[in-house]
Amino acid sequence: MTRVLGYRLFQALLVALTVGVLTFIMIRALPGDMAYRIAAGRYGYDMVNTDAANAVRTELGLDQGGTTALGQWFSDLVRFDLGVSVVSGEAVIDEVRHQLGHTVELALAAVLLSLLIGPPLGILAGLRPGGVIDRGLLLVSSTLRALPHFVVGLLLIIVLATGMGVLPAAGHGEPQNLILPALTLALGLAAVSSRVARDAMAGVAGSPYYAFGRTKGLSDAQVLRRHGLRNVSVPIVTYLGVQFIYLIEGVVVVETLFAWPGIGHALVHAIFARDVPVIQGTALVMGLMFVLLNALVDLACYLIDPRRQAA
Amino acid sequence: MTALLVADGVRVFARERIVEPASLSLHPGRPFTILGETGSGKSLLAQAIMGTLPKGLRAEGSVTIAGQRLSLAVGQGHRSLWGRVISVLPQEPWLALDPTMRAREQVAEGYGFVRGLSVADAARRAQVDLANLGLADASGKLPSQLSGGMAQRVAFAAARAGGARIVIADEPTKGLDVARRDDVIALLLREVAEGGGLLTITHDLALARRMGGDLAVMLDGVIIEQGPAEEVLGDPQHAYTRRLIEADPAHWPDGQPRKAAGAPMLVAEGVGKSRGGQRLFSGLNLAVHPGEIIGVTGPSGCGKSTFGDILLRLLPPDEGNVRRAGGQPAIKFQKLYQDPPSAFPHRITLRRAILDLVKLHGLDAARIEPLMARLRLAPALLDRLPAEVSGGELQRFALLRVLLLDPVFLFADEPTSRLDLITQQEMIELLVELARERTCAVLIVSHDAELIRKVSDREIRFTGKKDLDQVEPKAA
Repeated sequence: MTRVLGYRLFQALLVALTVGVLTFIMIRALPGDMAYRIAAGRYGYDMVNTDAANAVRTELGLDQGGTTALGQWFSDLVRFDLGVSVVSGEAVIDEVRHQLGHTVELALAAVLLSLLIGPPLGILAGLRPGGVIDRGLLLVSSTLRALPHFVVGLLLIIVLATGMGVLPAAGHGEPQNLILPALTLALGLAAVSSRVARDAMAGVAGSPYYAFGRTKGLSDAQVLRRHGLRNVSVPIVTYLGVQFIYLIEGVVVVETLFAWPGIGHALVHAIFARDVPVIQGTALVMGLMFVLLNALVDLACYLIDPRRQAA
Repeated sequence: MTALLVADGVRVFARERIVEPASLSLHPGRPFTILGETGSGKSLLAQAIMGTLPKGLRAEGSVTIAGQRLSLAVGQGHRSLWGRVISVLPQEPWLALDPTMRAREQVAEGYGFVRGLSVADAARRAQVDLANLGLADASGKLPSQLSGGMAQRVAFAAARAGGARIVIADEPTKGLDVARRDDVIALLLREVAEGGGLLTITHDLALARRMGGDLAVMLDGVIIEQGPAEEVLGDPQHAYTRRLIEADPAHWPDGQPRKAAGAPMLVAEGVGKSRGGQRLFSGLNLAVHPGEIIGVTGPSGCGKSTFGDILLRLLPPDEGNVRRAGGQPAIKFQKLYQDPPSAFPHRITLRRAILDLVKLHGLDAARIEPLMARLRLAPALLDRLPAEVSGGELQRFALLRVLLLDPVFLFADEPTSRLDLITQQEMIELLVELARERTCAVLIVSHDAELIRKVSDREIRFTGKKDLDQVEPKAA
């Protein structure tokens, strides 16, 4: 286990390095004059002129070489300083912390909701492969997975918010504001995790040890509880680690759609304004979160599966 | 004597009838064995009796278990007997144990859930059962940490924990070597001696002989002969039973061993190998002469296959060296694998697999047809996938594939251990005949000492764990 966690730590270092360099290069490679974009971010598009842009350029030293700027960012990073937003002048760490809280809230709600929807349906389907539930679930999950987040989100808004009026379409602050964005993400996650659970359950239910459990005299519920759930949960939990990528990608779209003040939302705005420190800081924190979550997945698998403890 | 279990006119249907009406009765203290080849319907019959037929199959007839008559056409009532009255000792116990649950817990389930004991009592009883089977230390282990023989004993304890006195053992010796097979037989016979009922399904004639009691021989879904095992095996009435008994290596005609002639073309000197920190063998010397057949026997895990792979230079020895004398290229040293399906690509036809070989080595494709005829392989089989031909046919294709390369040395690693008796005899006869014809030396590994004795010119015996360093070349 120590070895696995050590590996994750090493991975975290690599992520910091890669994310820092890549975001920096990509932002520099974007077309347009950075100084104009930053000035627009600060003063609004109507107020930008060459003087304002030049003032920004001089202030931020944008003419200096890329290597120097990147080197500066890394040396600050070692001191756990993510720098200052070139647009708002606030410390990046404060912006990220503020927005990350909202995002974590949304992501956590989405994952929990998806776990309540996906695996139970998948297990039901997997117990009777080819049955009504199985075929219905295949149709629904393929459709949901094929639709982009914003379409699913919009459909939910149209049906539940504008149509039936039971939930607010967008906003933040009230608990019910969380439901639609979380559900949008959760449906996408559950579409896949239900398939993973279904295949795992079908495999386990068809295994010799499952059949042996039955002929030993256990009831269906007992076999499922004793020999089904643990064996099925290992692939489901492992797959969660992969799903976090989907989640991070989804957060950006869903936060924008539902006007949720999270980190994904902030990232999009920072890119428009070429706010390099914020982009680097945000991407870094997201990358590190990804590593942390995968470490948690490892830990969960370790606790569930005695084979890993024995190894 | 009241029967523990009576099967009356049991038949199994897929689209058509695949098991003809079969009746048998199982008495306490008297084993009953159903003997048959792969596809003879013996497992289906047992599954129909047990009520575990796979989807798509249905049964008719009736089974009376512990005084309770069940109509198989209705297909209900078995469930309440499972574990309590009747249970199954599954094939391949390694796969039948939950890979994520420790041994004692898997046994304790029967006591806890089926007999309703408290958790602590169930665990105690399970521990006692395991200790009785010599597994006291294994109770906290996971199946992956158990050997095949240990897994089988754990499965046996688990099958019986619910109180079942009738056990259906499905191919209990499949894939076990002789020593472990004897352990399993002793285990099953002990159960019978205590008054339990035992129905064994097997393709293994030696197992059927050792079990004694009653025997039924099955062929193509029909019980062709049934009676006390001694009578059936001693004085078989049906032609198939006679053929089956003749196919037992013990009844094969003695081969004519030949004296080694010519200079050795493969020489191993002082070869040693360790695996997993354990010394398998060391200081082995062997000179292989053209066209001779060398038999290798020994218990499983002693390094027989490893030795063959070292001769082929597929594995490097830890010490010593292997020389190919006579300037033969590596391609002339070939191997015939134990499990034919895993030695062929699954998704391409046999024709393509073989033509690819012909193309790769620039061979003459015209040689395929006569060689196939020689191996009694119908040309139509070429267009099938490996899974669509029988195990015997596929192994003959494997032999064809090897022979196309005109080998001077062939390492046959348990080439018939996955085949039925009659198929095994055909396969070995062909192998020996063709090797003699082509002066191809063969190193044949088998766990069956009789088979080795009958076919080889000389023998190498790996003699168990303690004398791993010993190899006895022995003139036949």
